[in-house]
Amino acid sequence: MALQRSVLLVDDESSILQTLRLVFEHEGYTVSTAESCAEAVGLLSNGHDFDAVITDLNMEKDDIGLEVARVALKGRPKPAVIICTGFASMANSRAAMDMGVDYMAHKPVELQELISALNRLIARHREFEGKK
Amino acid sequence: MTPKQGTLPNPLALVVHGDMAALSKFQAALARKGFTTIVARDLPTALLAITQHYFQLAIVSSQLAEGGDGWPLAGVLHLVFPRAFVAVVSPVEPDVLTLQAAINYGAREVYDQSSPAEDIVNSIVAQLISSEGANNTKVQ
Repeated sequence: MALQRSVLLVDDESSILQTLRLVFEHEGYTVSTAESCAEAVGLLSNGHDFDAVITDLNMEKDDIGLEVARVALKGRPKPAVIICTGFASMANSRAAMDMGVDYMAHKPVELQELISALNRLIARHREFEGKK
Repeated sequence: MTPKQGTLPNPLALVVHGDMAALSKFQAALARKGFTTIVARDLPTALLAITQHYFQLAIVSSQLAEGGDGWPLAGVLHLVFPRAFVAVVSPVEPDVLTLQAAINYGAREVYDQSSPAEDIVNSIVAQLISSEGANNTKVQ
């Protein structure tokens, strides 16, 4: 039995969003997208329930993806949260670790690595959070 | 030592490190904080311990037989004991890649191996106490 899985993709580059949407829809995910932190926070705050959130780090402001992660991690059940960035620093990596981000992927992202990490994290979150 | 009747047993910690002196220092520091500690010097012993105990805390060297082989062990500990505090000690001062490895393997904290065991354990216990996960963990 196939389980329905949902992911929110957050990136200010529409070409990246479109590419990732195609990839994850092909993997069987229901995909939502947001082109800014504000749009993503709006979706996360309005009762939308995602299995995973994948966010860029630098969008309308540097490191603003951490705010997306912070809001996402308040969700119950908690989604798997992945940050994709080409601009990792000690400060933003430390902040991501302290808030409990599940995965940090380097841009350019290796798609198979990202898919594998996402599938694993969602499976674990569903078991841990008792979600079917 | 037999626990007093009606009291919870001490929380259990696993320390995996290739250096016996480091194991001894961690064990002593953890005992002072009320932990019972299981130690392992290599991966097979660590895996055996994982099958036989339920750990609330694990401290793993990122370098056991070879550089970096402690990270997957930290990942296994995070999967098997999802509420446990998994810390990794690194032989080099943690950099961006080390922090990212910690995130991706589910470690809650990474420490420089040159830090005193007492300081590392104090830091872990402080984080345990301040986190939700500490609710059922008896630390002193």
